[in-house]
Amino acid sequence: MTEHDPKGRGAPGGASRREFLRGSGVAAATAVLTGQATAILDEAQAAAQDSGPKILKGEVELTLKVNGHDHACTVEPRSTLLDTLRDRLDITGPKRVCDRASCGACTAIVDGEPVYSCTTLAVSCQGKTIETLESFDTGEHGVPHAFCKDDGLMCGYCTPGFVTACKAFLDKNPNPTLEEVRKGIDGNICRCGTYVGVLQAALDAAKAMKGA
Amino acid sequence: MANWPETTRLIGTRIPRLDGLAKASGKAKYPSDVHPEKMLFGAILYSPHAHAKITSIDTTAAEKLPGVKAIHVVAKAGATLRYQGDFIAAAAATTEEQARDAVRAIKVEYQILPHVVTEEQAMAAGAPAINRGGNVRAGRASVHGLSDQVLAEIEKTVNDLPAAEKDKRRKEEYEKAVNDVLGKADAVVEGTYSLPVITHTCLESHGLTAHWTAADKLTVWASTQGVQVVANELAGAFDLPASNVTVLTDFMGGGFGSKFGADIWGKTAADLAKKTGMPVRLFLDRAQEHLAAGNRPSAAGKIKIGATKDGKVTGLIADTHGTGGFPFPYVYEIPVSTRVHSDVFVNAGGQRAFRAPGHPQACAIMEAAMDDLADKLGVDPLEFRIKNLPTDFHGPLYEAEIAMGAELIGWREKRKPRGQTGTGPIRHGMGMALHQWGGGGAQDKKVSCTIHPDGSVELKSATQDIGTGARTVLAIIAAEILGLNPTDIISNIGNSTFPPGQASGGSTTTPSMSPPCYDAVTKARDELFKKIAAAVNAAPDQLALKDGKLLVKGEPAMSWKDACRKLGMAPVSETGSFVPGLSSVGVGGCQFALVAVDIETGVVKVEKIVAIQDSGLIIDKLTWESQVYGGVIGGLNYGLFEERVMDPTTGVMLNADMEMYRLAGASDIPEIIVRAYEPHEQKARGVIGVGEPPTISTAAAIGNAVSNAIGVRVSQWPMSPRNVLDALALASKEGKA
Repeated sequence: MTEHDPKGRGAPGGASRREFLRGSGVAAATAVLTGQATAILDEAQAAAQDSGPKILKGEVELTLKVNGHDHACTVEPRSTLLDTLRDRLDITGPKRVCDRASCGACTAIVDGEPVYSCTTLAVSCQGKTIETLESFDTGEHGVPHAFCKDDGLMCGYCTPGFVTACKAFLDKNPNPTLEEVRKGIDGNICRCGTYVGVLQAALDAAKAMKGA
Repeated sequence: MANWPETTRLIGTRIPRLDGLAKASGKAKYPSDVHPEKMLFGAILYSPHAHAKITSIDTTAAEKLPGVKAIHVVAKAGATLRYQGDFIAAAAATTEEQARDAVRAIKVEYQILPHVVTEEQAMAAGAPAINRGGNVRAGRASVHGLSDQVLAEIEKTVNDLPAAEKDKRRKEEYEKAVNDVLGKADAVVEGTYSLPVITHTCLESHGLTAHWTAADKLTVWASTQGVQVVANELAGAFDLPASNVTVLTDFMGGGFGSKFGADIWGKTAADLAKKTGMPVRLFLDRAQEHLAAGNRPSAAGKIKIGATKDGKVTGLIADTHGTGGFPFPYVYEIPVSTRVHSDVFVNAGGQRAFRAPGHPQACAIMEAAMDDLADKLGVDPLEFRIKNLPTDFHGPLYEAEIAMGAELIGWREKRKPRGQTGTGPIRHGMGMALHQWGGGGAQDKKVSCTIHPDGSVELKSATQDIGTGARTVLAIIAAEILGLNPTDIISNIGNSTFPPGQASGGSTTTPSMSPPCYDAVTKARDELFKKIAAAVNAAPDQLALKDGKLLVKGEPAMSWKDACRKLGMAPVSETGSFVPGLSSVGVGGCQFALVAVDIETGVVKVEKIVAIQDSGLIIDKLTWESQVYGGVIGGLNYGLFEERVMDPTTGVMLNADMEMYRLAGASDIPEIIVRAYEPHEQKARGVIGVGEPPTISTAAAIGNAVSNAIGVRVSQWPMSPRNVLDALALASKEGKA
């Protein structure tokens, strides 16, 4: 998984993840604190603004480009990309499982890189290209077809993450060995134990994608 | 009485699941994906303490937060919370973030009570009593194989004792009698073996989305393995006629035995929806899923077992305990045995059925003891097992399966006696284990089959697909009978209002649902023939179906669709019931493991697993294999990685997440060879389920392979570096390694 650019260079959103985290902490705290605490927060905000990064709080209007379409939505600075996709845009392919970047079920592709959308802030994705598996080719040359044919799924809840990780991996490694595939999808976890089918599907998809 | 066709076109072949592409393209809508209009998001407040009493709970501040629509308190002041994760209250709000803020803002004061969270804590002298009747509940001793005369004498001895002493004395007398037998054995071993609690870790957490479509009509989308169970519970909870509750489960993200009921969170979601007049989605977060949504209970056993020098087991004494029960002895023919089991209560989430309940524990303990005894006798553990197989039909079945597995793992060429595995830091070892399972079906389930005039075929039943491919299995059976393709069949399940279907548990779904499906489709076909025979100038018994065509007197006459068109306006619809002869019960199975153990770091790498499984007639070989692979990988997790780690001091679970609760990733998966044992007589038994059996013996085989590799028994699962190094250190201290 690729770490987001920590400095937020060139991103229209402009602010870094660390600063967003600080910003969202301020927003969350504002809801429950009063009096003296507010004064401290004001000070903190002023200090933060002086140093450059933008502090976001409350509701934020956002346009996200997902699967080729612009989606306007209202989020909070702390809203994750995953929760924004699922709860606000009804794009429910990516799943929430561990909710802390250990299992990969939430994988989406942001500017060509697979990311754990459960630990990516939605506001950091403004202006970026977001792809979820709903946009993938479902024909014989696509990754989903290979997963179906090789039964690389059982309950299917981890499957969107595996399919997405697999697609992102194959886009960069079109001729992988089995060992490379294992490493390529090692950021994902399946509970039903479909790995044998998943690995076969990845190898078959690599072949099929060349025919596309 | 009915039989499956002698030759089949589809049954037993490799057919991709009907809903595979929907799942692999993100288009399948799971219960946690469904978003009815105006839906609110729920969040749950659960106990942060292992044992506490709520002295006060105040929701005033929470209710005033932006977006909050309702709060429902389950554990009020005075309520006792029995484990970290125990349900307290839930909130519904416009956004999920707001709902989480709301439960955080509920002010709760706790009176902390003393806790016990590990078996050791619970069983310690002077431990705080957390359960009425004590933290340890000893069962009555059981005995097998003693003569009536000996039993009568024991009962006579016990009879005059006060009630409180009877059980204890009986246990002692049984053990004395078995010890008399073991005294004549040529070799006896005593060992203590244990397995930890593991959690289901369903990837879609437990929960549901509730929607009141009228004041007395409730529809829920539930992540469940029993749509009708959930419907009945909710109807009861809200005093509704059962027919007013609809439970929908088109897809669900894993259950493994933990998702049969509505649960307190399901009822709470419906309560919140009722209070707010809006649909509410309420699912557990990952931590609570580990804490409260079920687990496989722990198991430990002190086992004494003996055999004659020609390798026949003569007797066994077992003293076992755990946070749940398990069958014992297991698989083998043991002439004389006695066992006493104690249930241990702790302040942690309760057990639920978990893929082959009790069996993986029983198998690991039994097979470890068998291996240790074979080692003491100095015989090949494979040959030793064959000498002690059950005397019923399973005996020859196991023998055939062992032969297949031994060949595939290379047992005879590659296996070395325990501990004689070289001198370097990496030691290779091989182990094996046998398992058993019932897996028969229920006989009261129904499937309906409707053939429409446009040629479409619809099956309906209130079962659901837990991930095994139930939807596809029904379609294959219908397509086989109607001469169609599985993709021509609309296989509708996951709706509680459909004809009664089986809950997905105990490997019973396929054997429960296949016979009524066969019956429904056969009846619908015959009804179709009756209705259209006159229109094609033939008698019904002169009609047949093949390759999408209607045959009249053996000759293709028209397409399936044209034949159905002759129905006019009225479809045919039939409901099928259980038919004897199409399903059966009872399977064996064996597994072999090859491992490499680094004796310096304690790291175990499984290199290869061979799984041989019988399960009668296989409907879909592709999804059947997936289940066996999945069972093996589940067993590999149990063998190597999984354990619920409780902190005795704070009483909380230390790994209620998915980075410290370890599960295999792609790089942990060894070469796995799966083979069906399916000679003709197996197919003739009809359908038997396969969800549970292949997960039972993997951890046992891995444990035996590790012992074979390093020369000492690792008596505690999982085969983690810590447990492996501890075993080596102990052996070293005792001068054994």
